[in-house]
Formats: sequence, C-alpha cells, structure tokens
Amino acid sequence: MDPSSLNSAELERFLNQEKERAMVNEMVAKLTSACWDKCITSSPGSKFSSSESSCLTNCAQRYMDMSLIIMKRFQSMN
Amino acid sequence: MDSFSSHSSMGSGSPQISAEDLKDQLKNQLAQAYAQEFLETVREKCFDKCITKPGSSLSGSESSCISRCVERYIEATGIISRALFSAPR
Repeated sequence: MDPSSLNSAELERFLNQEKERAMVNEMVAKLTSACWDKCITSSPGSKFSSSESSCLTNCAQRYMDMSLIIMKRFQSMN
Repeated sequence: MDSFSSHSSMGSGSPQISAEDLKDQLKNQLAQAYAQEFLETVREKCFDKCITKPGSSLSGSESSCISRCVERYIEATGIISRALFSAPR
C-alpha cells in the first residue's frame, strides 16, 4: 500500500479516535471547572488540603453517578 | 459521495499532502485549541479567586495567588481525570 495515501477507512478510524479523545478532554475540563467552583472555596494555597482533594475526587465520581441516574430516567420515559 | 475516498477529491491542483502530515496537522490544531481553551478557563477561575478588588496595580499577594492558583488548577485537572478513569469505583 502506498504509505502516503489516506484511505477513507483509515481516516475515519483516526477521526473517531481523535473525536473520542476530544470528548474525554472536554469532560475532564468541564468537571474540573464545576468541581473547582464547588470544592475550592478559599484562596488557593501552595497545596490542596486533604478535604479539597477528596472533594474534587468525590465531585467527579458523583457527577458520573448522577449522569447514570439521569440517563436511566430518560430511557424509561418512552 | 465519499469525499475522502480518493486523492483527487482533496482538491485538484493543490499540492498533495501525505496522510501522516494531515494527521499531524489535525493533532496540532486540536492540541492548540485545547490549550487555548484551558488557558481561558484558568484565566477566568484565577481572576475570580485572586483579583477580588482590582487596584491601581497588581499587588504582590495577588500575583503569588495567581501562580498558586494556576498550579492548583492544573493539579485539579489531574485529580478529576484520575477520579474518572483510574480510581476504583
């Protein structure tokens, strides 16, 4: 195969992979923003307190739990 | 028609670009867009946190708050990413 040719299957695979990566990045960015607002209430210190870092972890994981509940709720609507 | 199915559809007369170059260009542009968005978010968050009452110049405590804020925001991004993808649920 000509190494410089880009067939549509390969391009599609590449684009899907990049799309997935972009979605993951967007998710992390969105959650970081939301959880930062919820968990970091005082002026940022030279390191996170243990309660701040566990709040961030919990915040991200509860968001996922919530998404699941919402998805189920909407699936049962039809 | 599948616009990616042949080279000729990539634009007649324009120089051919290799598959690897196209991928690299795409990746670079995506990375650049991501970095820009990240920077904008950090600016917004740290402005909220550190510049609470804008004075006639940036104070020393404000600028040290900003550098701490930037470091913490990067750290927070890592914590969130680990919480989503590698922590045992």
